[in-house]
Amino acid sequence: MVQYNFKKITVVPTGKDFIDIILSRTQRRTPTQVHKGYAISRLRQFYMRKVKFTQQNFHDKLSTIIEEFPRLDDIHPFYGDLLHVLYNKDHYKLALGQINTARNLIGKIAKDYVKLLKYGDSLYRCKSLKVAALGRMCTVIKRVSPSLAYLEQIRQHMARLPSIDPNTRTILICGYPNVGKSSFINKITRADVDVQPYAFTTKSLFVGHTDYKYLRYQVIDTPGILDRPFEDRNIIEMCSITALAHLRAAVLFFLDISGSCGYSIAQQAALFHSIKSLFMNKPLIIVCNKTDLQPLEGISEDDKKLVMEMKAEAMKTVIGQGGEATDDDSVLLTMSTLTEDGVIAVKNAACERLLNQRVELKMKSKKLNDCLNRFHVAMPKPRDQKDRPPCIPQAVLEAKAKKAEETAEKEKRKLERDLENENGGAGVYSASLKKHYILADDEWKEDVMPEILDGHNVYDFIDPDILMRLEELEREEGALQGLEADDDFEMDGAELTPEEQAALAEIRKKKSLLIQQHRIKKSTAESRPTVPRKFDKDKQFTAERMGRQLSSLGLDPSMAIDRARSRSRGRKRERSPDRGGNDGLDSMEVDGDQQNKKLRVRSRSASRSRSKSRPPGEVVPGEGLKDTAQKKKAIKMAKRSSKKRNKDARRGEADRVIPTLKPKHLFSGKRSTGKTDRQKFPLLWIHIQQPVASHVWGSCIRYAVQLQQPAIVENLFVC
Amino acid sequence: MENKIAPDCSDFLPPPLPDLIVFGSCRVPSPIIMATRLQYENNCEIGVFSKLTNAYCLVAIGGSENFYSTFEAELADVIPVVKTSIAGTRIIGRLCAGNKNGLLLPHNTTDQELQHLRNSLPDSVVVQRIDERLSALGNCIACNDHVALTHPDLDRETEEMIADVLGVEVFRQTIAGNILVGSFCTFSNRGGLVHPHTSIEDLDELSTLLQVPLVAGTVNRGSEVIAAGLTVNDWTAFCGSDTTATELSVIESVFKLREAQPSALVDEMRKSLIDSYV
Repeated sequence: MVQYNFKKITVVPTGKDFIDIILSRTQRRTPTQVHKGYAISRLRQFYMRKVKFTQQNFHDKLSTIIEEFPRLDDIHPFYGDLLHVLYNKDHYKLALGQINTARNLIGKIAKDYVKLLKYGDSLYRCKSLKVAALGRMCTVIKRVSPSLAYLEQIRQHMARLPSIDPNTRTILICGYPNVGKSSFINKITRADVDVQPYAFTTKSLFVGHTDYKYLRYQVIDTPGILDRPFEDRNIIEMCSITALAHLRAAVLFFLDISGSCGYSIAQQAALFHSIKSLFMNKPLIIVCNKTDLQPLEGISEDDKKLVMEMKAEAMKTVIGQGGEATDDDSVLLTMSTLTEDGVIAVKNAACERLLNQRVELKMKSKKLNDCLNRFHVAMPKPRDQKDRPPCIPQAVLEAKAKKAEETAEKEKRKLERDLENENGGAGVYSASLKKHYILADDEWKEDVMPEILDGHNVYDFIDPDILMRLEELEREEGALQGLEADDDFEMDGAELTPEEQAALAEIRKKKSLLIQQHRIKKSTAESRPTVPRKFDKDKQFTAERMGRQLSSLGLDPSMAIDRARSRSRGRKRERSPDRGGNDGLDSMEVDGDQQNKKLRVRSRSASRSRSKSRPPGEVVPGEGLKDTAQKKKAIKMAKRSSKKRNKDARRGEADRVIPTLKPKHLFSGKRSTGKTDRQKFPLLWIHIQQPVASHVWGSCIRYAVQLQQPAIVENLFVC
Repeated sequence: MENKIAPDCSDFLPPPLPDLIVFGSCRVPSPIIMATRLQYENNCEIGVFSKLTNAYCLVAIGGSENFYSTFEAELADVIPVVKTSIAGTRIIGRLCAGNKNGLLLPHNTTDQELQHLRNSLPDSVVVQRIDERLSALGNCIACNDHVALTHPDLDRETEEMIADVLGVEVFRQTIAGNILVGSFCTFSNRGGLVHPHTSIEDLDELSTLLQVPLVAGTVNRGSEVIAAGLTVNDWTAFCGSDTTATELSVIESVFKLREAQPSALVDEMRKSLIDSYV
C-alpha cells in the first residue's frame, strides 16, 4: 500500500542560504593551501577540484529537491488534484522545472570552466577562472530563489496536510456551510475540529477515526460547499469537491432542515442535484440534522417534496449497487448533534453500507481464495464416545456471576506491582519467590535448603513421595517383625566363638592392609617408573616368594618349591665357551667334544686371521693396578657396583643417548648458497668432515633412522 | 547563459492551514474484552515468557512486576501464579509444556528450579523433568487437558511420558507444514487458533483430532507464531499488545470467552474479516 507522507521532504533553503551552504562546504571540504611555486599542473588541478566539487554539491542538493517533491501525475489522483487545487499544478511544475534547469546550467558552467582551467598558465589566472565559475553558479541559484521560496512554502503546507489514506474505509461528510458537519465528526471521533456559528469555519480537510465492528474507519470532514458554478468555487470548496470526486467513500450529505445555517432546504437540494454526479457508485446517506430545532415531520409540504426527491435520488445509488429498494431506512436519516439523538445510528448506517459495498467488491476479487481458510470455523466431528469437558474452576464461575450482579463492587487485591511501588519501585524491590509456596506447614516456606551436603547433590536424593514410601516400608517391616518375632537373629561380635573372632580380626587386618597398599600405589602411581615384574622385588616370581605366600595361606610350601626347582632349567655352564681353554692354537681339538653346533661353527671360523684379544685380567702398564689378581678384583667390584642399577633397569651413563633429535642449529635460519644439502643431510656432512671409526657408522645410521629420513640412510651408504 | 526568472509566486500560495491538525483516534471505546493485551518488557511475544493452564500459570521473572501483576490480577484468586526461570532463562513458555494434570520440563532445568516448581504448584500437578533431545518442549508440544499434538521427531519415551504425566492422547502432527506444532497453534478445551496458512481440510482434520472448534488466524498484528503471541486457558486469554481488535474478537469467539461462540465468526464478523484480510 502506498503511504503518502509529505512530512519527510527536506527543507528547501532560500537562495541566499543555499549559496552560503554550498560555498562554505567547498571551503571546508577541499584543500585550501596552494603556493605559486607549485607545478602548473598541480595548480590547475587544485582549482579544477574546487569548481567540480561546488558543481557536484549544487547538483546533489537540487536533485534531492526535484526527487522528493511528489510528481503530481504519479501519486493517487486524490492527492494529485488536492495539490493542484491548493498549489496550482502549473506553478508547481514550473518551479520544479526551473530547479531542473538551474541544475543543468550549473553543470554546463562547471564543464566550461574546467575546460578553460586546462589553459590557465599561472596561479592568478587559475584562481580568477575559479572565482568566475563559482560566481556564475551562484548567480544561477540567485535567479531561481523565488522558486525555492515557493517550494519551501509548499513543503511547509504539505507537511501539515492530514494523512488521508485514499484506499482505506472512509466516510465523507459534506454539505452546505454551517450545517453541523464538524459537530458530527467531533461526536463520533476524537478529532477536535473547531466548531463556530459562522460559515467556513472549516477551511481544509480534517480527519478523525472511528471504530465499527472491529474495523477502523477514517472520517473526513470537508469544508462547506456553496451551490455555484464549478469555475467560481474557491480553493476551500474545491478541497471538498476533490475529496468527493476521488475518494471511494460513504458520503453523508448533511441537510439542515431547520434552515438555521442561513440556507433554505431548496438551496441545499439544488446543491445536492448539482453535485450528485460526484455521488455515483458510492453509498450515499442524506442526513437531516438539527432535528432539535425542527423535526422532519414539521417541515412544509414543498420542502418535504424536495427531501423526498433527494431521497429518491439517493435510492438510485442503493439500487445501482444491487441493494434492495425496500430498505429506505438507511438512506434518509434524522439526527441532532446537539442532543446526540440519532448520531450513532447515522454512523452505523454509513459504516454498514460502506462495509457491504467493499465486501461485495472483494468477494469478486481473486485474492479472496487465498484467505478462504480464515473464514472457516472447523467444527469437530465426534470420533469416540469420550467426553472432554472444559475445566473452569468454580471460583471463576462464581466471580463471573458476581460481576454480573454488581459490576463495580469488588475488593481490589494487593498486587505485586503495588508492593513494588511501595518498596522502592522496579530494580529496588525484590520479591521473594518462596512467598506463595504450597507446603504442609507455612513455617517451612523460608527454610534454607542446602544444595550440596557431604559432597552430594541434595536434589539427587529428593523423592517427592519419600515420606509415603518410608511409611510403607515401615509398615512392611513392622509386619515382618511381627512374623519373625520369635527367632530373631542378630549379627554381632559378641555372639562369635574365639576362633571365629580371630578369623574375623585376620580378615579385617588383611583388608586394611590391602587398602593401604592400594592407596600407596595410587598416590605414587605417576612418579614411579614401570618396572618389569622380573625386576620388581615384591612381584617377581621366585621360589621364596611362592613359599612365603603359600605358608601365609597355611599350606606347606616345601613340595611346591621342590617341584618348581626340579622343573627349572639347570645352569648351562657349557653354553659359554671357556676362554682360558680356547685361546690357544689347539682350539680345534677342544671343539671336538663340544655338542653345540653353533659354537663349533664359530670356533672353526675363528682362525688365525683374527687377532687375539687381551684376556680381561691382564695388567696393562699405566692402569695403576699391581697385578692380575688386583685387576680382576677391581673388575668384579665395578661390575657389582652397577649390578643393582642394571637389575632395576635404570638408565645408566653407558646407555646410548641422543640428546636432541633435530639440533636446532642445523634446521633453522636462512640458508645461503650451498647450505641446503648440509641442512638436509646433517649426518652425511658429519661423516664426510671427519673420518671416524667404523662403529660410529652404526650409530649414524640409527640416528638417521630415528630422524625418519630414509634419504639420509641411503646417502650414507652411497658415500 | 540565460535563465528563466521565476514569477512572483505569492499570489498562488494556498490559504494558510491551522497550526495544529488533530488526527483523532476513536472516541467510541472498544468493547470490553475478556482477553487481556499486555507486553513483557516491551515485547509482544508474551507466550514466550509465560505458560498458562487451567491449574496454574508460570510467569518469567522480569525487571519489574508489571507483567507478573497483570496475570496476578486476573488469576491469582483462582490458580497459583508462579514466577520462575527454566534452565536459567526467561523463555519459559517455549521450554515447558503442561496442562492441569502435569508439567513437563526440559532436561536442562536445574534442580533448584524443579524444586521451586514442586513447592509452588499444588500436589495434583505432576512436575516431571524429561530427557528429551529437543529441549524446547513448548515449541514441540501443544496440548489441552485431553489431547496433545507433538513434533514428529520426539522420542518414543517422551511420547509415553506425555501421555502419562499430562494424561492426554498424543498425536504426532504438523500444522500447515510446520513441525513446531507448539509454536504455531494454541488450543484450550473449548477452542483453538492455528497458523493462518492451514488449509480447510487440515483444519477439519485437526479439529476432529482435538475435538474442539478451530480457526486459522493471527495474533500481534499479523504474526503467524500463534503460541508466542497468545496464551490461553478455558476462561481467560492473554495476548501481545500489538493484537488488533479484529484478531482479539476472533480469539474471543473461538475460545468462547465472554459468552461468544465460534459461530459468530461466520455470521456477524464475516464482513469485517473479509474487509481486513482481502
